[in-house]
Amino acid sequence: MKSEKSQREKTFSPGALTRLEEIKKKYPDKRAALMPALYIAQDEFGWLRPEALKAVAQYLELPEMTVRSTATFYSIYKHEQAGRNMVRLCTNVSCMVLGASTLKGTLKTLYGLAPGGTSPDGRFQLEIGECIGACDRGPAMLVNDDLHTELDTKKLIQVLESYK
Amino acid sequence: MTRYLIPDACIRDIGEYEKTGGYQGLEKALSMEPGQVVEEVKKSGLRGRGGAGFPTGMKWMFAAGDPKFPKYIVCNADEGEPGTFKDKALLKNNPHILIEGMAIAAHALKAETGYVYLRAEYPKEKEILEAALAQAHEKGFLGENIMGSGARLDIQVHRGAGAYICGEETALIDSLEGKRGQPRLKPPFPVNAGLWGKPTVVNNVETFANLPFIMRAGAQEYMKIGAPDCPGNKLFSVSGHVEKPGVYELPMGITLKDIIYDHAGGIKNGKALKAVIPGGVSAPVLPPDKIDCPMDFVSVQKWGSMLGSGGVIVFDEDTCMVQVAHRALQFFEHESCGKCTPCREGTGWLRAILERLETRQGREGDIRLLEDVSRNIAGNTFCPLGDGAAMVVLGFLKHFKEEFSEHIENGCPYGRTGKRPDRPAPVQ
Amino acid sequence: MINISINGKKIGLEGPATVLEAARRHGIDIPTLCNHPALELWGGCRMCVVEIEKMPRLQTSCTVMAADGMTVYTETPRVVAARKSVLEFLLINHPLQCPTCDKAGVCKLQDLTVKYGAVAGRFEEGKRTFPESVDDPLIVRNMERCIMCTRCVRMCDNVQGAFAIGVVNKGTRSHVEPFSGGRYNCEYCGNCLNVCPVGAIMSRLHRYTYRPWQMDKTVKTICSFCGVGCTQLLEVRSGAIQKVSPVFGEGVNKGLLCGRGIFGYGYVGSPERLKTPLIRKNGVLEPAEWDEALALAERKMLEIKNLHGGRAIAGVAGGRCTNEENYVFQKLLRAGFGSNNIDSVARLGLMHAQNLLEDIFGQGAAANLISGIPRSDAVITVACDPTQTNPVMGLQVRAAARAGKKVLTVGHAHGLRRHRTHSLPAHIGTEGMALAGLLSELLKIKKLPGENPEFEAAIKNFELPRLEEVETYTGVSAAMLSGAASALKDVSSSSIIAGRELAAHRDARRNLMLLAAIGYILNSRFFLISEHPNEQGLIDMGCAPDTLPGARPIALQTFRERYEEAWGVKLDPEPGLSLMEMFEQAGDTVRAMYIMGENPAFNLPGRKMVKSALGKLDFLVVQDIFMSETAAMADVVFPSLAWSEKEGTYTNLEKRIQKLEKAIEKNPEKKVFLMEDWQILMEIGKRAGLNMPYTASSDIIDELARLSPLHAGLGYGDLAETGMMWPYKGKPLRMGGRIPALPVSRAEAPSKEQALAPVLVLDKPLFHSGTLSRHAGPLLDIMAEAEAKLSPETGSVLEVTDGAMISISTAEGEMALKVKFEKGLPVGAIFAGNNFGEAGALGLFGYELEPESKTPILRFANLEIKLETGKL
Repeated sequence: MKSEKSQREKTFSPGALTRLEEIKKKYPDKRAALMPALYIAQDEFGWLRPEALKAVAQYLELPEMTVRSTATFYSIYKHEQAGRNMVRLCTNVSCMVLGASTLKGTLKTLYGLAPGGTSPDGRFQLEIGECIGACDRGPAMLVNDDLHTELDTKKLIQVLESYK
Repeated sequence: MTRYLIPDACIRDIGEYEKTGGYQGLEKALSMEPGQVVEEVKKSGLRGRGGAGFPTGMKWMFAAGDPKFPKYIVCNADEGEPGTFKDKALLKNNPHILIEGMAIAAHALKAETGYVYLRAEYPKEKEILEAALAQAHEKGFLGENIMGSGARLDIQVHRGAGAYICGEETALIDSLEGKRGQPRLKPPFPVNAGLWGKPTVVNNVETFANLPFIMRAGAQEYMKIGAPDCPGNKLFSVSGHVEKPGVYELPMGITLKDIIYDHAGGIKNGKALKAVIPGGVSAPVLPPDKIDCPMDFVSVQKWGSMLGSGGVIVFDEDTCMVQVAHRALQFFEHESCGKCTPCREGTGWLRAILERLETRQGREGDIRLLEDVSRNIAGNTFCPLGDGAAMVVLGFLKHFKEEFSEHIENGCPYGRTGKRPDRPAPVQ
Repeated sequence: MINISINGKKIGLEGPATVLEAARRHGIDIPTLCNHPALELWGGCRMCVVEIEKMPRLQTSCTVMAADGMTVYTETPRVVAARKSVLEFLLINHPLQCPTCDKAGVCKLQDLTVKYGAVAGRFEEGKRTFPESVDDPLIVRNMERCIMCTRCVRMCDNVQGAFAIGVVNKGTRSHVEPFSGGRYNCEYCGNCLNVCPVGAIMSRLHRYTYRPWQMDKTVKTICSFCGVGCTQLLEVRSGAIQKVSPVFGEGVNKGLLCGRGIFGYGYVGSPERLKTPLIRKNGVLEPAEWDEALALAERKMLEIKNLHGGRAIAGVAGGRCTNEENYVFQKLLRAGFGSNNIDSVARLGLMHAQNLLEDIFGQGAAANLISGIPRSDAVITVACDPTQTNPVMGLQVRAAARAGKKVLTVGHAHGLRRHRTHSLPAHIGTEGMALAGLLSELLKIKKLPGENPEFEAAIKNFELPRLEEVETYTGVSAAMLSGAASALKDVSSSSIIAGRELAAHRDARRNLMLLAAIGYILNSRFFLISEHPNEQGLIDMGCAPDTLPGARPIALQTFRERYEEAWGVKLDPEPGLSLMEMFEQAGDTVRAMYIMGENPAFNLPGRKMVKSALGKLDFLVVQDIFMSETAAMADVVFPSLAWSEKEGTYTNLEKRIQKLEKAIEKNPEKKVFLMEDWQILMEIGKRAGLNMPYTASSDIIDELARLSPLHAGLGYGDLAETGMMWPYKGKPLRMGGRIPALPVSRAEAPSKEQALAPVLVLDKPLFHSGTLSRHAGPLLDIMAEAEAKLSPETGSVLEVTDGAMISISTAEGEMALKVKFEKGLPVGAIFAGNNFGEAGALGLFGYELEPESKTPILRFANLEIKLETGKL
C-alpha cells in the first residue's frame, strides 16, 4: 500500500527546480529567493494556493507562515484562483483623467468583469491597478505581461479579443 | 542644451552605446581611486533623483566610511509614483547608462554585488535590462576583472511584486531580503546596515544614470548644468491634459510653465490649465498662478509642493479636483503598508470622506474634518507615505476649497455626481 | 554617563537606553501599545510620541535613543493631541464591544482612551469586518479588535521561534492569522495572547466567564509541569483557577510560558479528583473515613515491619510533590518503617547523570542558570529536545541561535530544526558514539585548558573510535563531525543540555564521561533535562536508597548520626533497593509499598512486571489526586492536593529552590476534607510514634535547614521573588575530582539490517507529560489521542499513510495508534508517547538495568507494525 496522499501532493517540476536553483545563487541568503520563488510557484500551481506556499516553504526551508505572510503583502501575485488572462487596468490619476472610468464600464458590460473578479468564462481576471508607468499614453493596461496603451472602447475590445 | 540621459534614438546595443561615449565614464572611474570617485560625485552636487533629493556623494561617503564588508549597491527601479515613467524610459531607451552608473558606484564603494529592484509592472524592461547586462558581461564591463582593473561586479535583477511602499529604501531592502516590504527603523541607516546588515547604497535609476556623464565630463562641467543647488538634467514625466505627453530631459530649474507649454505642447485641445501636480501624485497640487515655479528640489518646496519624482500631471479646466483627490487617496489607502496607525487608518478615513463628497453625501463640516484628519496624519507617520497623503489633501483644500464646498452644497459642478466613482476592489 | 532631562527632571543614564526606558526607570509613564520589553522595537503605534527639543517632529520615545543633553517633554498639548488622534484612528475600526469583551478592564486601548479622552465618533463609515475565528479549540481570534501592534507576531517569530502566526495582506486589510487561517498548528505557548494589548487574541478557556476585576485573588506561584520552574500567576475566582498568565520580566521564565504551563491547569478542577480516602474491602475500593484509613495504613505497615523487617517495605516518592513532602516521606519510610527502599523517577537517568558529573566536577556541576544559555558562545544539546521536555529552557536555546550563537544538536531535536547551526543527527541511542567522534575531532584542533590535570590525563587515555566507525554506528559523517568541531573551535564558553537517555543507556558511564570531557574542553555549563517539577528535589531530599536529605550517603556514619539524633531512631546504614529492584522483588523480599504522587503501573517500563509486582504485595498505600492505574491496585488510597492547593517548595533543574503559594484553599466545598501529602504522612508517622511536630510546611523546611548541610539556614523568608540558587547559604559538599575509569567496551556496530530496522522511540510531546495532562481538557483539545509520529519517508517504508491506525506490538505488549506524519523525523523511527491510558507507549517497552546505577534502560523486542484494518 503506497501513500496515496504523498503521490498526489504536487511539488515543483524538474524545470522549475532548475530555475529555483539558479535564483538561489543570486543571493547570499536563501530567504531573498522567496519573491522570485513565489513567481515560479504561481506558474507551477496556477496561483498561490496553500500547496504552492508550502512547496516554496519546503524548498527554501522557511516556515510556511513566513512564506504566506510575505506573499500576501504583494498585490501582483495571484492569491486566488485566477482567470486565464490577468487584466490590470490602470485607473490612477493620469489614466483616469484620460477616460479610464469609461473603460471599466465597458469591461463590466461586455465581459462581465468586475474589479477583483473573473469573467464567467474564466477567460479574464480584472484587477483595478495602480499606476503602471504608461501615463503618457493612457489609458493603459497590462494583460499578463503585455502593455496596451491609448485605449478607447474600440481598442480595448480589439485587444482583449486577441487573448483566448 | 546638453542631453546625456536619454538619446534621441533608443540605444540597446552595447556597441552603439560605446560609440556615443558609453562606458568611458566607467573607464575614467576605474583609473581613479575609489575615494576620488566618491569625492568627485560629492563635488558634482548630484542629488538623488528618487524624490527626496539627498546628496548622493554624502550617502556614498557614509557607506564608504563604514568598515564592514561586503557592501552592496542597489538600484531602486521600483518606479511606482503615479504619473512617473522616466525610469522606464531610461531602462527602455538607454539601459547601458544604468549599468555603467552602477559599475561606477560599485567601484567607488568597493561593492562587488549590485541588485536592481525592478517593479513587477515592467516585464519588458526587465528583458531589455537583462539583455544589456549579458552584453556588458560579455564585454568585460561586468564580472571579474572589469576592464583589467581587478574590480569585479555582478548585477542581479530582482522583480518586485506590486507594492508602492517598496520604493522607500528600507522597505525595498526588506523586500529584497524576502520579507514584507515595510520601512525599517532608522537608525541604523542602510549606508551602515542595509541589505543583510551590510553597508548598502540605494540609488534611483536616474541617479545612477547621471554618473557616467559626471565621470566623463567632470564635476565642474556637470555643475554648469541646471540650478545652482540642484545641478544636472532632470527627467520630467509629463502626463494628463497636454498635447505631447512624454519624458523630457531638461535642466534642473526649468519652470513648470516651460515644461508644459514649450516642451509638452501646452494644454490639450486648446483648453485652459486648471491645476498641475509637479512631482507625482504624492506632491501637493499647484494652481495655474504657480507655474512659474522653477523645477528643482529647493524651489518647488518654496512654492508649496515637491519636485518628487518629477512626474508632472496636468489638468485642464474640465477636471474635477475632488475626483482627482479621491483617486489619489484610494491609491494611498491601497498602498499604505499598515505598519503605523495614522497612515493605516487615516488614509482610509480620508478616502471615505472624499467618497462622500464624490457620491453627493458630503455634509457640513467635512472640509474641516478633512483638514483635521490630514493634520493628525502629517508629521506623525513612520515614513513619508502617510505624510504625502495628508499633504496632498491639504494641497487640494488650499487651492480648491470652494470646489470641495460646492460638492457638498450642490454636487459636482462637472455633473459627475450620482454615479459612483472608480475605486479599487472592495476590501475583503 | 548620559544626562537628559524629561519634563524638567534631570536623569543620568549609565548605559544606552531609549527615551521610553529612561523615562520609565525614573517613574515617568509614557503610554505604549506596540512596545513590549521582551520584543524587538517596532515604532508602529505612535502612541509613545514625545516632544524633544531641537527636533521638529514628534518622536517615538520607544525607538529614539537617549542622547546626552536631550530635553524631552512627554505630556505637552501637542503630544496629548497626537496621542488622542492615534486613539481616534485606532477606534475607527476597533469595535466598541467593551461590554462583552473579555479584555475590558485589562485592555490597554480602553485604559488609554479613558486617559486621553474618547473622541465622539467622527468616523461615520462602516468599520472593517472580519468574522471572529473560533476554529481553534483554545485560541479565539477577533481581528476586528486588532490594532496591528504585531506584538503577537514578534513574540511568535522572534521569542518563541514557532513562526506559527503572521500578518497577512497589507495596510488596512492586514490581520493576523495562522497558516491555515483557522486552527493553529503551533506550540500553543499562549504567549501571543499574553502580549495582546487588546481583545484580539484571547484564550477560549475562560471566555465570557468573568470580568477581570471580579477575581477573588491573583497568586504568583511556580508551574507544576516540568523542571524549569516557571513563575506564573494564577487568577482565582470562586475557588477555581480561571486563568494562568505569566509575569513579564519575572522568574526563571521572564514571562514566557509553554502550552502545559498556560493551558494545562484544568486538571485541578477535574470532577475525577479523589475526594475521600478509599479502603479495599472485599476486593473493592470503598470510601472511608480519614481516621480509619490512616489507622489502617499505619497498622498494616508496622505489622509488616514487625513480621518481615523494615526492608520488606518500599516507597516511591513523587516528582510533583514538594521538597517538604518528599522530606517527610523519606523520614516516614526510614525512621517510621525502618526502610531505605526509597526511590523515585530521578532514577530514570537524572540521578546517574548528575552523580557522574559531580564525581568529576564537584557538587553542583549541573546547577547553572538557564538565563546564561543564550549568553554562552555555543549551545550543545545531546539526546534531548529541550523545546519539548523543558520548553522554556528550549526557548533560551532558540534565543542563543537568534543572538547568532552556535547551536549544535547531537541526536534528534525536532524543535530546534530551524534554530541549530550544526547538527550531528546520530541514530536514536547512538548519541554517545557521536560525542566520541566529536571529542576526537575537538582534540585535534583544541588545546586542553590545563585546569584539571587528573581529568586531562584521563581524557588523553580515552580510547576513541575512528571516524569511519562512528559513521557506521551513528550515521554521522566525518565531515559533519569536523564541521561541528571547527565551529566550536573558538568558543570561550558554552552550555550543554543533556537528556536522561544518555544515562539510561548501556554505555551510560562512557557517554557521560565523553560529555564531561567535551564540556571540560569547551568551558561548558551543564544542564540536565528534568521532566518533573521537583525531580531535583527528590535527589536533594534523600528520596534515594543510598542518600539522606542533603544528598549525602547514608553509609557515612557521621552524617547518618545527625539524622538519627534528630529523629530519635537508629537508621539502617545499608542502602536500600532502587526503583526497579523494588518491583522485581515484590512479593518476595518486598511485601508492602507506599507510593506518593507517582504512577509506576503506567509510568515505568516493564509495565507487565510492575503491575504483577503490585499485585503480589501484601499491602499497598497510594497517595494521589486521581484514581491512577497504580491507585486502582492499592489497599488504601489517600486523596491529596494539587500544586495550586498547597504550600511548599520545588527545586528546579538549576537547583533553584522556589516557593509554591497556595492559590486555592483546600476543602472548598466543606463536605470534602483533604490534606496535603505531608499532612497525611505526618498523621501516619505520629500514629507510629514518630516525632513530626509540623503545623505548617515551613516547620519542615526549618527541620531540613537544621539537618541538611546543603540547606543549612534556609527558610521561606529567603525564597521571596526569585527563590534561592544553589549552593544556598552553604558551601559545596563534595569537591569532585573523582575521575571514574572510562569503560573501553562499547556495543558493537549494528549490522546493516539492524541499522535499517524500525525503532520505537519514547516520545515526550510538548502538550502532555504523563498522568496529569490527561485530565486537562484544553491539552486534550490540542492533542486528543495517542499518536505514532513518523516521517513520511518512514511511512512509505512501512507502507502506512498519514492518519492510518496501526497496531504496534512488542514482546511487552500491543497497542493501536494513529499515524501522524511529521516531516524531519529520523527515518525508521516511530515516536510514541506515554500519555494516554490504553495507549501509553511504555507498555511496549521492557528494560534492562544499567549495572552501576540501576537505571532502567528501555528495550523493546520483536517489534511488529501492522495496519489495523477496518479502523480508519
